[in-house]
Amino acid sequence: MISILAAAGCDPAEEIICAPAEVIELFEFKDALFSIGPLHFTRTVVLIFLAMFIVLAILYFGLRGNRLVPTKFGTAVESLVGFVRNDVAIGIIGPEGARYAPYLLSLFLFIIVGNLFEVTPFINFPLNSRMAIPLFLALTTWVIFVVIGFVKHKHHFLLDIVWPKSVPVALRPLVGLIELVSIFILRPITLAVRLFANMVAGHLMLTLLLASGWVFMSAVGDIGARAIIGVPWFVFGLGIFVFEIVVAILQAYIFTLLSAVYIQTSVHPAH
Amino acid sequence: MVEELKGAIALVGYGLAAIGPGIGIGIVVGNAIQAMARQPEAAAEARTTMFLGIAFTEALALIGFVLFFIA
Repeated sequence: MISILAAAGCDPAEEIICAPAEVIELFEFKDALFSIGPLHFTRTVVLIFLAMFIVLAILYFGLRGNRLVPTKFGTAVESLVGFVRNDVAIGIIGPEGARYAPYLLSLFLFIIVGNLFEVTPFINFPLNSRMAIPLFLALTTWVIFVVIGFVKHKHHFLLDIVWPKSVPVALRPLVGLIELVSIFILRPITLAVRLFANMVAGHLMLTLLLASGWVFMSAVGDIGARAIIGVPWFVFGLGIFVFEIVVAILQAYIFTLLSAVYIQTSVHPAH
Repeated sequence: MVEELKGAIALVGYGLAAIGPGIGIGIVVGNAIQAMARQPEAAAEARTTMFLGIAFTEALALIGFVLFFIA
């Protein structure tokens, strides 16, 4: 039991909590739980489908029928849809933003459900802490704003980026290069990494605090009164639990907001 | 010797990379609160812009976070 307090070497034979040997696990797929034909279902894939069905169920049961007076749940869903449509899509992109509201709404709901899995008992796994998922969502946004830019403005879209008219001529190559890298490379990466990093950090923090609280308290027979040190860890972990709910919702909002802003810069590149 | 210190240097690098965004986010939020206090009717707009400012400033810290994985 000394090993718990010291945790010096990381010997897998002893039951202590130690750092994983490789962080590569965050980027790779593990062995499948079960397979249907060529499709392999890991826990992450199962949770993706679960999140999808939850989003569909929320929208279906909230908005089914065309009632004159919506139910309580229907009102809540309507206000959520109205928030994404009016405040995010139309508020940022402009009047034509209503076209992009369905995409932004599905993005928002999927991310919020996936993030809240982190604080759901018995799941306790934020969907977006596997790099593939936020990266895919960010690349979808990237494809949308690049395609819209080229469709709406043809070659002027690229030309205005690499040769900005509003900058003194001497600075144009430099600013153009920075803009090119920032728009086509840094935007999708930061969009994905922001969500990923927040979820990984929150998940790690919860795991460390709650698990260390549990390990100390359950070792009370071996280490006696010193096990009391586990109580503040556990309480602190529960406090972080509440904080993580806020982070989960805020990150979903920021991801949606930034997607809207990126689409807006393609629709109206001048400002 | 240098090889043994590798992990620690990456962590110090992330700490350094977080200083600038930390100051930047402080400035952004401070000024947004000032704007909201001076003009409460424009609070919604200030809040949206504040989140955007935070998100763009945070990008620098996130690039530093990548060091944790590649170093």
